[in-house]
Amino acid sequence: MAGSGVSRREVLAGIAAGAAAGMFGSLSSAKAAVSEMVWATWDSNGHPEYIAAFEAQTGVKVKLSYLSSEDAQFAALKTGTASDWDMINPSLNGSWRYIKAGLLEEIDMAKIPNAAKMYDVFKTTPKVLDASGKQFAVPYLWGLNPIVYRKDKFESEPDYTTLFNEKYKGQLAMRDYALESIGIAGLVAGVPRDKVFLMETKELAEAKKLLVAQKPLLRTYWQTIGDLTNLFATGEVSCAFSWRVPYDALKDKLAMGMAKPKAGIMGWCDCFAMPATLSAEKSEIGYKFIDYLLGAEFATQIAKIGNYATTSSIIRDELSKEQQAAIFVDDMDVMKSFMWPVAPENYSEWLKIWNEVKAS
Amino acid sequence: MASVLHRAHLAVPVAFILILGCVLPLAVLLVFSVFEVDLDAFTLVPAFSGQSWTQMFTNPVFTFLIGKSVVSGAGTALLAALIGYPIAVSMTRLPVLWKGIGSIVLLTPLYTGEIVRIYAWRVVLGSEGLVNAALKWLGVIDEPVKFLLFSPFTTHLVLLYNNLPFMVLAIWISAELIDKRLIEAARDLGARPIDAFFKVILPLTTPGLAVGVFTVFALAAGDMMTPSLLGGTSGATPMAMIDNLFGTAFDWPLASALSLSLLVILFAFATGFVTILLRFDGARAVFRRGAP
Repeated sequence: MAGSGVSRREVLAGIAAGAAAGMFGSLSSAKAAVSEMVWATWDSNGHPEYIAAFEAQTGVKVKLSYLSSEDAQFAALKTGTASDWDMINPSLNGSWRYIKAGLLEEIDMAKIPNAAKMYDVFKTTPKVLDASGKQFAVPYLWGLNPIVYRKDKFESEPDYTTLFNEKYKGQLAMRDYALESIGIAGLVAGVPRDKVFLMETKELAEAKKLLVAQKPLLRTYWQTIGDLTNLFATGEVSCAFSWRVPYDALKDKLAMGMAKPKAGIMGWCDCFAMPATLSAEKSEIGYKFIDYLLGAEFATQIAKIGNYATTSSIIRDELSKEQQAAIFVDDMDVMKSFMWPVAPENYSEWLKIWNEVKAS
Repeated sequence: MASVLHRAHLAVPVAFILILGCVLPLAVLLVFSVFEVDLDAFTLVPAFSGQSWTQMFTNPVFTFLIGKSVVSGAGTALLAALIGYPIAVSMTRLPVLWKGIGSIVLLTPLYTGEIVRIYAWRVVLGSEGLVNAALKWLGVIDEPVKFLLFSPFTTHLVLLYNNLPFMVLAIWISAELIDKRLIEAARDLGARPIDAFFKVILPLTTPGLAVGVFTVFALAAGDMMTPSLLGGTSGATPMAMIDNLFGTAFDWPLASALSLSLLVILFAFATGFVTILLRFDGARAVFRRGAP
């Protein structure tokens, strides 16, 4: 506190404001007590301009801590190496692990007015509840992970088998991530999309065989989405299982395409959650922040710049048909053809297979 | 008070830090390696289990990765020694000013961050990069040479580039310390330049060579970023696997067993290389002269 340059008067004002917040339930008056929060999230979800309005409204600086993987986020929380994180970003399908491990603070939905505008599928999802029905996370952002490709180098729209096709040797890339890469190999091996994340040893062995055969065809495994965007921009890769980021970043410079394979589209949904160890005053700011994430300003910014949709319908009707299509909210039936990657119970077996493929 | 203190006492604070910062974490790793993991509760369960060590010795992936790391480190050290030696010896012949300039030039690449260097290499070696563009312009190739980037070649080229300064500096300092009169005496007694090199210069620089080999081997064998971001699909390393096991898989016992195995094997190889080099007569002569 002393190091942050806050004067004695401001501290006293903050204490008084905190007391008032306690008495009257006012959230805004806790402002002076917390000057900054650390939000662990994906680099694509947390551009500084997305949260500038929140910082201006509350005076709270949101420090961004970018994640490398969902698993790394879970491990960091579990092992206590992320004690400075105040707000975190579990996936909808991964939330159960955090809830089961007791890592999250219970969320009171009554404190989030904008939650009323959430699409039903996200508002009523049981994936963010514990066994007794208490809520621990709030879905706030969703989308799909397509195959991104160079239209000038492919005659027809690629599907998952393209990523295993000898003809395209040296132009392909896969993500260095067990869950999605093995899942895709499962689909190519003929496992139906609702069974892919339940694959057992025998099916996993089939998927492994495909991935080992695929390895010499790949230019590389991509590590971060920035890394993959660089690979597309420099002409190293022309087709990859991807996020939409390289498409958006390069579509004005190169003939970029985005394919949604019929075998199943990997959907993703990010949640907001707070660590169980969070102080009361920081969790009050956390509630204001999740309300902001479900509000119009964040939705507008992230639709405009990042081409992502929030889980709230708050700005949907104000968008043109093209703008709706760009963020996949023109036809909400798309949700039904999604696959939601979920870490299965035998996930350690998946990880071992992935390591064996990479070391093969 | 001052008389109670011996010169050897100066090493006490460093020894204390070493024990605290190195031996203790290793002891913790050893303890973790026999624990078990409860994946339902995501907790480490104290136990005395040989499970992770059994996996270490039975799963060929671990042996392959550690072996790959040893070969990679040894290959880089050998190449760095072959290339670095002539550079280091020629630096001893330079005027003092140029020696200063030479050492600055040698170290300049190390001032840039590793990630910056990695992306710069992608620009140089990529399909549409500088080397391919030049070869195309010269009419040597029609299609870009793909193995320049994302191959074991790239990994070892960059490991060599990154670690060469450590080899050159170590040999250079050793070569500077040679009493020039010994070389003159050898020549006066009829030794050809090549004989003077093999009988005087090379033996007397083996301590520097040994330090260079030890350093470059350790740095190259333990690198994770270069193979991962420039080695393409061949970029798997034991370091990345340890990172994966500690982070993603929450398998701390196996990660600990792998870390300890890697450490022991790399240390054994590095010590082996250095011991062999220091058994040469030249190295013994250097150390004898340095003794009180």
